[in-house]
Amino acid sequence: MLFNSYSFVVFFIIMLALHSMNFPWKVKKVNLLIGSYIFYAAWNPPFILLLWLSTVVDFFVGKALYNENNKQKKRLLLVVSLIGNLGMLCFFKYGNFLLDNFVTLVNTIGIDYHPAKPSIILPAGISFYTFTTLCYTIDMYKKEGTPVKTLLDFSLFVTFFPHLVAGPIVRPHQLVPQFETPKQATRHQLVNGLFLLSLGLFMKVVMADTLLASPADSVFQAQNSLLPVDAWAGVLAFSGQIFFDFAGYSTCAIGAAMCLGFSLPENFKFPYAASGFSDFWRRWHITLSAWLRDYLYIPLGGNRKGPARTYVNLMLTMLLGGLWHGASWTFVVWGALHGVYLCVERLLQQRTITTGQPAVAVSRASFVPSFLAGKSINRFATALFVFLLVTIAWVFFRSTDFSTAWRLLSSMFGMDHNGAALLSTLDLVKVFLVTGALLATHWLLRDLSIENIIHRTNWKVLGVAWAVMLILLVVSQKSSNSFIYFQF
Amino acid sequence: MQESKLLKSGLLALVLVLSFIVGWELFWRNRGFQATFNDDKALWANSRKEAYRPQANATVFIGSSRIKFDLDIPTWEATTGEKAVQLSVVGTSPLTLLEELANDENFNGKVVTDITEVLFFPNNPVFHQSAKEAIDFYKNQTPSEKLSSQVNYALESKLAFLEERRFSLNALLNEVPLQNRPGVFAMPVFPKGFEWTTYDRQTFMSDMFLSDTNDINKQTGIWSMLLMGDPTPPPTGADLTQIFERVKTSVDKINNRGGKVIFIRTPSSGPLAEAEEKKYPRNAYWDKLLAHVKTEGIHYRDYASTKNLECPEWSHLAIKDAVIYTHELISILREKNWFAAKELALTTTTN
Repeated sequence: MLFNSYSFVVFFIIMLALHSMNFPWKVKKVNLLIGSYIFYAAWNPPFILLLWLSTVVDFFVGKALYNENNKQKKRLLLVVSLIGNLGMLCFFKYGNFLLDNFVTLVNTIGIDYHPAKPSIILPAGISFYTFTTLCYTIDMYKKEGTPVKTLLDFSLFVTFFPHLVAGPIVRPHQLVPQFETPKQATRHQLVNGLFLLSLGLFMKVVMADTLLASPADSVFQAQNSLLPVDAWAGVLAFSGQIFFDFAGYSTCAIGAAMCLGFSLPENFKFPYAASGFSDFWRRWHITLSAWLRDYLYIPLGGNRKGPARTYVNLMLTMLLGGLWHGASWTFVVWGALHGVYLCVERLLQQRTITTGQPAVAVSRASFVPSFLAGKSINRFATALFVFLLVTIAWVFFRSTDFSTAWRLLSSMFGMDHNGAALLSTLDLVKVFLVTGALLATHWLLRDLSIENIIHRTNWKVLGVAWAVMLILLVVSQKSSNSFIYFQF
Repeated sequence: MQESKLLKSGLLALVLVLSFIVGWELFWRNRGFQATFNDDKALWANSRKEAYRPQANATVFIGSSRIKFDLDIPTWEATTGEKAVQLSVVGTSPLTLLEELANDENFNGKVVTDITEVLFFPNNPVFHQSAKEAIDFYKNQTPSEKLSSQVNYALESKLAFLEERRFSLNALLNEVPLQNRPGVFAMPVFPKGFEWTTYDRQTFMSDMFLSDTNDINKQTGIWSMLLMGDPTPPPTGADLTQIFERVKTSVDKINNRGGKVIFIRTPSSGPLAEAEEKKYPRNAYWDKLLAHVKTEGIHYRDYASTKNLECPEWSHLAIKDAVIYTHELISILREKNWFAAKELALTTTTN
């Protein structure tokens, strides 16, 4: 079920009504769990079996891991959980990709092998709930935290509908304790949650789908070279679209949970105002970045095993992070580009530290004149430079293949002199105005949270802004476009 | 403090939004607009499931936009006692739709296929895109989408402003007069009050459109550009035979399951009709298609009762003429035993 659908409106009203009734807490949790399964099954009912399997296996394996003292048995149990979760992810998400690459490889060495292409449907949200359950079993293996007491609480932790399909990726300690005691949204939480839901839907429906999706799609689907202005407009449109789409989903998720009295972790913090690439990943898809840091980068050794190994670990983490987003080499290249950005930034930071200068972001160490050091214009230039490189990386993320990516990059940098005009004047105006407003907003609000902004704003201004968002939402009349991150 | 502040903001927003909705609806109603349905893939999917009705109870119509205007569904249903299942998709070739029905083993009904040559014969993927999207949506529709559609229809049947082509944010922005750069193609903006669409997907021109000469001239200009401005030459030789073969394969599949297919050519007028005949001469396309597929056809120019019907904007009939055309179509089909299954069923019941 999509947040931007009438079916969700009906569903959510029923859930709110049930949750506000005077039932025992256990009954309310059962209601939430059944509701969450309905939320998931409304997309494709059979895949609910996978969710059950993952939940039941990890609940019992997690408990056994925590209670088991024999190291070998513990390792065996962890392997069972890893194989179960990652095996499922590999089959559904990477099955076709692995087969295609295997066929290409054997054909390259002269073996004529052409198997029938299997028809594998990717279950919605599998990458998200796999990571949710995986972190639980790893935590139990390391005895970080205690096992969830009941299967009901664990099932609700995995399946709770606001975060189930596209995050934020929650950790057990962030959500499970909230299920242990009765929760009922206060009036403030309810109104705040409704505000966040409105904001999230505005970002998704108005900004991403209505204003930016069409120019981005046109440019990325173009079969010919384009004029630089069209190519840049399309790529900038996608930069904005993916932010509004995904941050919009996360905001809706946080808002929906808040309306029910629960709190989910923040997932985006004005990322296009980041002053460096490590700062970008502390602001973009925060829960995934933290997951990769805690369950991949640090276990690989992090920065504890010397400089060379640190760079290898960074690259590995970003490559796998890229692959997590999609079963295609273009996603791997996107991850690799971010890995390179982080490595270069780290290298420059290390050099500035050893030369006695303050360690700051990459561009400040590289291209900003010294007389501007510390000035806000310098920080703004840094943010723009980071945004530019992040935008270039999005070319690989959005392109369906490398030829599209190269064609687009050639067009963007004027390397192809036969580029054609594609976008209407209206599309160009929309893209440049929205992107400009997006960057300005991120820059101005970079140190604030939504809560801060609400707190600082006059109630009348806030009411009018809220109304404008809802009015544009009504006028946009788009109610069924899927969220981009559903495919991951 | 914070709680009351946010609550006050929420109440203010609610009042403003409700005021806007009421005002927006009244504004468009006062300008002559009425509630209509978005003719989108969800509405198509809603009609598609009706195609499985027994042959005696329904006829399926596929085509481009013309048959959506020219078939008056209430007249058809009142006269024949059959359901008219309208599966035509505007701006597309019905070939994709015909193939989908042919490949559906559960379909054995009757199909009237309307041919608009400029969309049917060119091998242009753009003319199949919307039909493919509608079919994909129908096949992959989720329970959530089905529920959303039902809520959507309930709202669309009451609120005039819930019409994406006319009143969505992008549609409103598209009305801003901005000159495009040379070489940029932009879809022309249709007159705002051109047509209404019903729940069963009949489309008809509005009175406000028919009474506005400027709008009619604007629309004829759009048809001139879209339908007559395509520079690609019509297919000939092997390319054309290939299209005929695809049609024949589909028709044979439906016939072999006990179904029926007939082709029709609905009226067009003025310079558009002349241009269509010039580019796609009847003897080289329509006649050859029927001969190749060995199927009957009903061309509007062959019948005294339909050959003089005038399309106000050259391409579609106004509702009063659609009623006449539908009566005539039923008579001709009756002569061709189209309703044999129904008549047999009635005879059996009477006996």
